Amino acid sequence: MSLLKVDKLTVETKDQKIVKEISFEVNPGDWLAIVGQSGSGKSMTASAIGQLLKPNLQATGTIELNGNNILAMSSKKMRAIRGKQIAYIFQDYQSSFTPFLTIGKHFDEYQRTHLRVTKAQRIKNTQEALISVGLAEDLASRYPFQLSGGQLQRAAIALALLLKPDLVIADEPTTALDSISSFRILLLLAKLQKETGCAILFITHDLRHASKYADRILVMTEGHIIEQGDQHAILEFPKHSYTQSLVDAIPVLKKHENFQDRRIDNEVNDDQQC
Amino acid sequence: MSVFSINYSKINWKTALLTMLLSLLTLLTAYAFLFLKHDSDFVDLGSRLLPMSLSHPFGTDHLGRDVLTRILLGAQLTVGYAFLALLTAVAIGLPIGLIAGYKGGLLERVLMRIADTFLAFPDTIVAIVLSGLLGPGIENLLLAIIFVKWVSYARLVRSTVVSERQKEYIAMAKINGLSDGKIIRKHLFPHIIGNVLVLASLDMGKIILLISSLSYIGLGAQPPAPEWGAMLNDARPYFQSMPSLMVYPGLAIVTVVLISNVLGDYLRDKFDVKKEVQS
Repeated sequence: MSLLKVDKLTVETKDQKIVKEISFEVNPGDWLAIVGQSGSGKSMTASAIGQLLKPNLQATGTIELNGNNILAMSSKKMRAIRGKQIAYIFQDYQSSFTPFLTIGKHFDEYQRTHLRVTKAQRIKNTQEALISVGLAEDLASRYPFQLSGGQLQRAAIALALLLKPDLVIADEPTTALDSISSFRILLLLAKLQKETGCAILFITHDLRHASKYADRILVMTEGHIIEQGDQHAILEFPKHSYTQSLVDAIPVLKKHENFQDRRIDNEVNDDQQC
Repeated sequence: MSVFSINYSKINWKTALLTMLLSLLTLLTAYAFLFLKHDSDFVDLGSRLLPMSLSHPFGTDHLGRDVLTRILLGAQLTVGYAFLALLTAVAIGLPIGLIAGYKGGLLERVLMRIADTFLAFPDTIVAIVLSGLLGPGIENLLLAIIFVKWVSYARLVRSTVVSERQKEYIAMAKINGLSDGKIIRKHLFPHIIGNVLVLASLDMGKIILLISSLSYIGLGAQPPAPEWGAMLNDARPYFQSMPSLMVYPGLAIVTVVLISNVLGDYLRDKFDVKKEVQS
């Protein structure tokens, strides 16, 4: 049985449809990447799954998590699911944490909301979670602004995985980071996914990030899913022309002379155009 | 650095001034409780307009009443009423701003338009109109102040909530499964309360000035209540013969307004986590 089953999901405002009847499934332990340019509706889809849409947006269709329809759920039931079964990692690590609360307070609050454990146990869990993402345990007493971007995003991942959710929705978690940090974050996510066995819904505009660890890739444009399938199938034999253009846009490092050749070619082309 | 060692270079002048003024106030209040022998309303025409002496440290006014006694009791009256007005204004404005900012939509628009309507009246005009309708007196003056002041708190709280609500940590708190009440209490309130306290402490000075100035023109506290503004008014005819009669209540007003302003700055720094950690 699939963990998450999205069926004919439509997200619309009063005058326009942003996501148009999309359907897909995520299996337990799966890494599904949703790829698309900005405005393609991928983040809307992610928000709809957690019932996080702004009040002016209307979601129709069904989103089933473990067989329960999320869109029909009461807010009380939804609260019990959030954090425990679905967790989010956001793009903007700077504001993912409440500025006047220490990192440790966030972890404490997460556990207090969903678990009944002693304070000593909560502190222990927090330290273990921080260590598991490669952070020092004394970071718990720091404020968010005292951490670097990479550290904050690691802390956010630790927080998301704290209660061992079934599904982690990572909404462009690497976009605001430099390439080395984002590479490390991806590596960390892959490692933690293996350890906890959670499914990851990875939303990105960069096919490079999807190509590394995703099992399956789903390509969205203008609110439609135009192609979905196994990673290799999408990357090597794209059927749709849009996917093809995305694949072509992946920069490939070539040898020095090739680079020279291409530059000369470009110059020749430029001359011809003049 | 241990907790107990004090770095003297880091004690700023604001903290020093605040401590000094607050201890001065405490001393005066203690004096009023322990040693005050005079009745503030006791009229003794035989000893009117006396200069300062041991038994009357600030002298006596045109009716022979002890000025120091009146200043000290006036502190309770002026500061106490200003505090009461402020507290009520915050108690009305804060929840309205919170609800409007957090819920948004039609409710927000209705509440904020009501607030805008109130904002259209300048405080002095409202005070004068209310005194005209209900008669002059300190209670009606307080009513007028509350009537005008709650709006600024509602607007401040609303704008803070609206700007913070957009940020992802609120979404994170939601995702964590927190209820709206808890999000407001744990993740929004500390933001709000800092701003509100700063505005309130600055407003405190303004309200004291307002009470005193309206009492000065006879709309606030009525004689023989020892209100500072009313005392200034009483002293006006004797300005040339006894200028000290106007100086003392004036100084008292200046001191309290200054304290509340410095307190405002101090609180603003205190609630700024960044500054607190860096220092």
